[in-house]
Amino acid sequence: MRAGIGRALIALIGALMLVVLAAGAQAEMKPINPLAAEGAAPPSAFAAPSTAQQSPGAFGGIFGWVLRTQQSLQRDLTTGVKSLKAGNAVGGDVMLAVFSFIYGVVHAVGPGHGKTIISSYVVANEETVRRGVIISFIAAGLQALSAIALVGILAFALNGSGLQINAWSNQLEMVSYALIALVGLWLLTTQLIRLYRRGRESRAAEAHETGHHHHHDHHAHTHHDHAEGEACNHMVDARELAGPFDWRKILAVVFSVGIRPCTGAILVLVFALTQGVFWAGVAATFAMALGTAITVAALATLALGSRELALKLGGRSGAFADGVWMICALGGSALIFLFGATLFAASLGPARPF
Amino acid sequence: MSPWELAKCRRVLTAVLAITACVGLARDARAHPHVWATVRSEIILDANRQITGVRHAWTFDEMYSAMAVQGLDTNGDGVFSAEELKPLTEVNIKSLKEFDYFTFVHIGDADNLPLKPPENSSLDYDKSVLTLHFTLPLETPVNAHGQEVQVDVYDPSFFVAFGFATEAPVKLSGPAIKGCAAEIEKPDPDSEEDAKALSESFFSQLGPNSSFGSQFAQTVMVKCGDAPS
Repeated sequence: MRAGIGRALIALIGALMLVVLAAGAQAEMKPINPLAAEGAAPPSAFAAPSTAQQSPGAFGGIFGWVLRTQQSLQRDLTTGVKSLKAGNAVGGDVMLAVFSFIYGVVHAVGPGHGKTIISSYVVANEETVRRGVIISFIAAGLQALSAIALVGILAFALNGSGLQINAWSNQLEMVSYALIALVGLWLLTTQLIRLYRRGRESRAAEAHETGHHHHHDHHAHTHHDHAEGEACNHMVDARELAGPFDWRKILAVVFSVGIRPCTGAILVLVFALTQGVFWAGVAATFAMALGTAITVAALATLALGSRELALKLGGRSGAFADGVWMICALGGSALIFLFGATLFAASLGPARPF
Repeated sequence: MSPWELAKCRRVLTAVLAITACVGLARDARAHPHVWATVRSEIILDANRQITGVRHAWTFDEMYSAMAVQGLDTNGDGVFSAEELKPLTEVNIKSLKEFDYFTFVHIGDADNLPLKPPENSSLDYDKSVLTLHFTLPLETPVNAHGQEVQVDVYDPSFFVAFGFATEAPVKLSGPAIKGCAAEIEKPDPDSEEDAKALSESFFSQLGPNSSFGSQFAQTVMVKCGDAPS
């Protein structure tokens, strides 16, 4: 089991690194990239002469590099959509899919793609790596569908304005954050109830036990200093706090994260729509979701790996394992609640101009 | 160390490890830009070489531009006229107020100087990119003679990445600009101070009051020497 987790973890991280490296290399080699050059060939279809290019030195350092990569990816997406419009079907297709995928991987590192929520959830619950990966993929898929539905209905069918799309996207975002907070609260409450019940049961059991064997020292009852490894057999296995596998919990998490459309996907969809190739935007959105899912799944796996590591470090100490489970279960749920509540509060702020 | 103390140490270690496992992941929730705006600014000076305001021209990236003008070609002629873009201009300018127009004028570490509502605002759409023009007057003109006036342009929440244009990013205008200079300072996000800001930005960055984006501030320094005779 542990070996399985390790292997999955390494594979995922490896894949992620490769993609990020590829993105970096792509950004570096841009001038000699044949696809990019091809896309840029018709000057009329490319940027207008007045298009001001930001100076490359505008952002320095490592973060500057990440930013420049993102910016160049966004430009590549623009070029990809345009070359499709220009009738360059094969090249445009491949280019758009690849860049959308990379954009998804890189983009998901930013907020709003549910990686914190999903990671916290899998750590707080007795989830496996496989389920963590499935959850990440379903959530990313839902986010893609949400963006497609939003743009499809508002812009494609109703010819709504960008401002309307923004307003709807903000509403969905707000609902998503509120739901996340509620899900966190629900998880935390059920775990606290379980903790309270177990505490009572174990106290009852303890009283029962001491009642039978230790009549004489009932008042000198400060024990808890028995040898390591013996553990407190009257204490609960805190693992149970995390709770068993439950589809309702998973659906709640996936839905609360998934209804929020990805802003990046909305931008690509609307751009594709204005270029008359809406379907290409839809394809790009799914490619993007795949990238997002991989990043989120990798992080969730990493979170699970950390928990396993923490459990392992405790050796055979039952109390140690109990502590890890308790902190993960309660801390993870509390984090989901706090995160949702903070984001919700922030989303109540003034509307953004752009 | 008594066994009890040892157990306590281990418990603390457990807590630290588990918290790292559970919470550590949340730290990468960094803001990232969705909109890229190329900045061209004009610093306006009066006859006494006081700065009276800043005139901005912000050109948005193609993708955001397409999004912003979507559905606004009301007469369907394929051209986005100033008339058609007027409602959008109004919304943009109005909502910019809550964000201090993303423009922060100050001297040294002193407080930002108050700005008046924008004037002469307009949007133009040139083939594929949207540019927002507006003038931000200072409530009270500030003397640029003998002191450096700093104009920062950034979105604190970093949803919009502002960057100065490669060519002609900033210029001075007015009747007495001789001996005055406007220079651009590059941000240094890897500096120690900013690294600290980064690690503090976990929850704080999420709100509208966060200052995560300040490390990417685009800065113009304006200073006038002695007037040429």
